[in-house]
Amino acid sequence: MHTILAVDDSASMRQMVSFTLKSAGYTVVEAVDGQDALEKSVSRDFDLVITDQNMPRMDGISLTRKLRESPHFKNTPILILTTESSDEMKQSGRSAGATGWMVKPFDPTKLLEVIKKVTR
Amino acid sequence: MSQLPVWTVAALQDDLLTATNDLDRLQGLLTHACETLIERFSGAAGHINLLIQDKPPEAVGCVRLSGAIDHLGGAMTALQFQDMASQLIHHTHTRLRHCADQLGVLSFGSEDGDEALIVAAPLRPNPVTQSEMDAGSVELF
Repeated sequence: MHTILAVDDSASMRQMVSFTLKSAGYTVVEAVDGQDALEKSVSRDFDLVITDQNMPRMDGISLTRKLRESPHFKNTPILILTTESSDEMKQSGRSAGATGWMVKPFDPTKLLEVIKKVTR
Repeated sequence: MSQLPVWTVAALQDDLLTATNDLDRLQGLLTHACETLIERFSGAAGHINLLIQDKPPEAVGCVRLSGAIDHLGGAMTALQFQDMASQLIHHTHTRLRHCADQLGVLSFGSEDGDEALIVAAPLRPNPVTQSEMDAGSVELF
């Protein structure tokens, strides 16, 4: 089964994303912000990254840009899961190399469908 | 601002700081309540999954319990209000604190270094624009 890196500065959001993913059989590694995620991504590969946008130290778009610089994450799907819904912000995410943009709140069933689609 | 009596400005500043302290407590209460709810929902879902595992999915009990899991999933969507509320509270807290600090400097004068003590106003508008808890959109690039 796939291993997913879940990045969010909100502990409750990390809990909810992890619970949803683990219930579906995925292995989940949590990170508290972009910087933490970047450090965790050095030591291991992930099949998918789900990241929040607004976080201290490093936001989701900057994380996406940094991960795309690494050959290990060149083709790894990266989903940005955020409260932000402006077109400008989505465009920035797309330019940084994100695979998709999901606006919170997420529906657990829909999230799992999207994960299945992008990890195929 | 110089036309307002100093005691009025001091009272205004005091009110703003009281409001920011109340927001801090509200933030703490919401976080604690939400963490407990998630823990309880996760526990209930875990128990249900144990009950239905190894049983044929079409069994009467399994169908009903799967329905319960769907309800818990819906609750999980609604519980994300805490993340949005937290961002709204943080944004409002920063703005109020900036106003309180500015009032202090404007009314009582500033000395060297006071500017550095003023909490900066948020650079961007509030990031949370949702007004209901329906699941958000999904866009794959």
